[in-house]
Amino acid sequence: MVRLTWLQFRLSAAVAVLALALVGILVALTGPHLAHVYDTVVAPCLAQGGDCKPTVSSFLGTDSLLQSVLTVALLAAPALLGIFWGAPLLAREIERSTFRLAWTQSVSRSRWLAIKLSFIGLASMIVAGVLSLMVTWWFRPIDRVNANRFVPGIFDERGVVALGYAVFAFMLGVTAGLLIVRIVPAMVTTLVLFVGSRLVVTSWIRPHFLSPVKQTLPFVWGPGAGIAQGSSGGGAFVIPPTPNLPNAWVYSNLIIDQAGHAPSSQFLQSTCPALTGGLDNASSNIGTGISKPSPSGGPTAQQVHSCVASIATNYHQVVTYQPASRYWLFQWYETAIFVGLALILAGICFWWVRRRLT
Amino acid sequence: MVRLTWLQFRLQSAVAVAALAIVAIALAVTGPHLAHLYHTTVANCAAQNDCDSATNVFMLNDPFLQNMLGPLILLVPAVIGIFWGAPLVAREIETGTYRLAWTQGVSRRRWLLVKLGIMGLASMVVAGLFSLMITWWSIPFDKINQDRFTPVTFSLRGIAPIGYAAFAFALGVTIGLLVHRILPAMALTLVIFIAIRVVVMLWVRPYFVAPLHTTQPDTQILPPSQGTSKSIQVGTNAALPGDWVIADQTLNAAGQVIGRNGFVGSDGRLGVGPNGVVIGDLSCPNLKPQGTPSATGNGPSPDAQALVKQCVTQLGLKEELTYQPASRYWTFQWYEMGLYLALSAALSGFSFWWVRSRLV
Repeated sequence: MVRLTWLQFRLSAAVAVLALALVGILVALTGPHLAHVYDTVVAPCLAQGGDCKPTVSSFLGTDSLLQSVLTVALLAAPALLGIFWGAPLLAREIERSTFRLAWTQSVSRSRWLAIKLSFIGLASMIVAGVLSLMVTWWFRPIDRVNANRFVPGIFDERGVVALGYAVFAFMLGVTAGLLIVRIVPAMVTTLVLFVGSRLVVTSWIRPHFLSPVKQTLPFVWGPGAGIAQGSSGGGAFVIPPTPNLPNAWVYSNLIIDQAGHAPSSQFLQSTCPALTGGLDNASSNIGTGISKPSPSGGPTAQQVHSCVASIATNYHQVVTYQPASRYWLFQWYETAIFVGLALILAGICFWWVRRRLT
Repeated sequence: MVRLTWLQFRLQSAVAVAALAIVAIALAVTGPHLAHLYHTTVANCAAQNDCDSATNVFMLNDPFLQNMLGPLILLVPAVIGIFWGAPLVAREIETGTYRLAWTQGVSRRRWLLVKLGIMGLASMVVAGLFSLMITWWSIPFDKINQDRFTPVTFSLRGIAPIGYAAFAFALGVTIGLLVHRILPAMALTLVIFIAIRVVVMLWVRPYFVAPLHTTQPDTQILPPSQGTSKSIQVGTNAALPGDWVIADQTLNAAGQVIGRNGFVGSDGRLGVGPNGVVIGDLSCPNLKPQGTPSATGNGPSPDAQALVKQCVTQLGLKEELTYQPASRYWTFQWYEMGLYLALSAALSGFSFWWVRSRLV
């Protein structure tokens, strides 16, 4: 039975190995250079604390095509495994009734299914794991600069979560194939359900793995802060300073009072006339000491300080976030959820094959 | 025959219509608000001197849709090729039903023509509608990013996706015809489609129209930070926003390429010290800083910047840009679509020949 599974599977396996080898070559050719540029150019610049914007943006533009290719490859890999490995696995046998022959060969139904599922399911996880390892390694310098690996979209593309996605997509494909029987509709259903589940977990479940940390800070004029005019009806509002939380997942960053209300437009206009008039946003760089000359006589540092002081008496900055230290915990939670779903689907498959399939 | 094709196709078309409807609703709900927000905040921020925060706040809108629409329109042609194109003929051949169809007083040519015609057209309509909606929704973001001519974004907007869909569909049909088995046909369609898209994007599209070159003395040196090492940024100051910069090279006085994308030398080092100014592998030993370097931590001393600038002039460094101006955007869109439609026509012609002469 193992031998049969391997014979049926070897072409798919060869394609996967070829694809991994191709990505491996690309990554091995470009990765060391990327790390070298980071170590010799970007890291020293960041360490000196000067203005690194041009360096950083030039660095982030390096190999931009490969960045997209790797991102898309890892995003698509689990879906492809589900579509091309999972969905046809049983659908093909049932559609052509070859399973009947297999069942006459002194192999129990459960064993027949168990070997197929474990063998190819494991292979799916290995493929996704190796790909994720390469991508994670290649992106390391870029992730250090961006410090955003916890953010949805990046979180899904690094670390161990790909293992969970792959085994889930595979089992989803197998189950869809078993229940729908026809290959192409099973493949489409797999794609749709997989994308749907990923979106649901990313948007509504992952944020609640652990309740976020709520940090209340006095409002100070830091980098990123400003006062801006909203849309026509909205009036003025305060842009809070960017919290210095590298690699954290920031849910929200607000300037509010004890009751949770943001400062009203009238309040801002009466307390900070210099900032809300003519100029819609004060030089946001005052906090970093690189205040730029404003051509039309913008607010002076004095005006900004008095404005900030009067806002700060009633309002404070509330940052809601998942700290960077929880990154791996979240990675394992996410992986566990998808592996758990895959196990449930496997249970359904076993039940269906033993009781329902005739 | 038309009726049969429709009967075989109605499930697929229902799925496509449902997908289009879902996207249309999501975009119709959010799009007008975005456009309104753009006109009231970003569009007139220039009058108020500083666009940074207005732009930043605007870019925070609808992050989910911003992230999802790109992959969606990237995926649509491939999905059409895999799920509509590849099984179309492969399924009939694999199951032998084409033999029945050919006994029904329908010529082989007409059989293929109706299938290809109806579903090929449907593919183009679906991709065109997706692209139309997404292009419209993304207008404010594209105005801010000025990147619609860059290789990846270019292929996610306008009429190019229509060509991709027609091509992916024809490719799927042709491969299905040759391979006979559905699954390998689907996988091959995906691989070949991606390969051709990448090849055209990297090596064909830049030369639709001969790119422009400019070589300018390298006058703009973006501020290097204080200290001994820093990359030189020559910037792409000669190109306007919205242009597609294909190559950005730094040349020395002899016209040899010494750096790319603003980095000079093997590791992009720039030094200002007691030995003068060092730029990559070149140096100006005569330009030594006066006095002690300032230690304010607020970036470079104006002194050092001036020295670097002087050194660049002294060495005669130049920046050579190879680019396509923004005004050629629609020309390129038409060329790209035309190229893929021509490929689709060639594949269809091959399919007709194969069905008539080779398929038994």
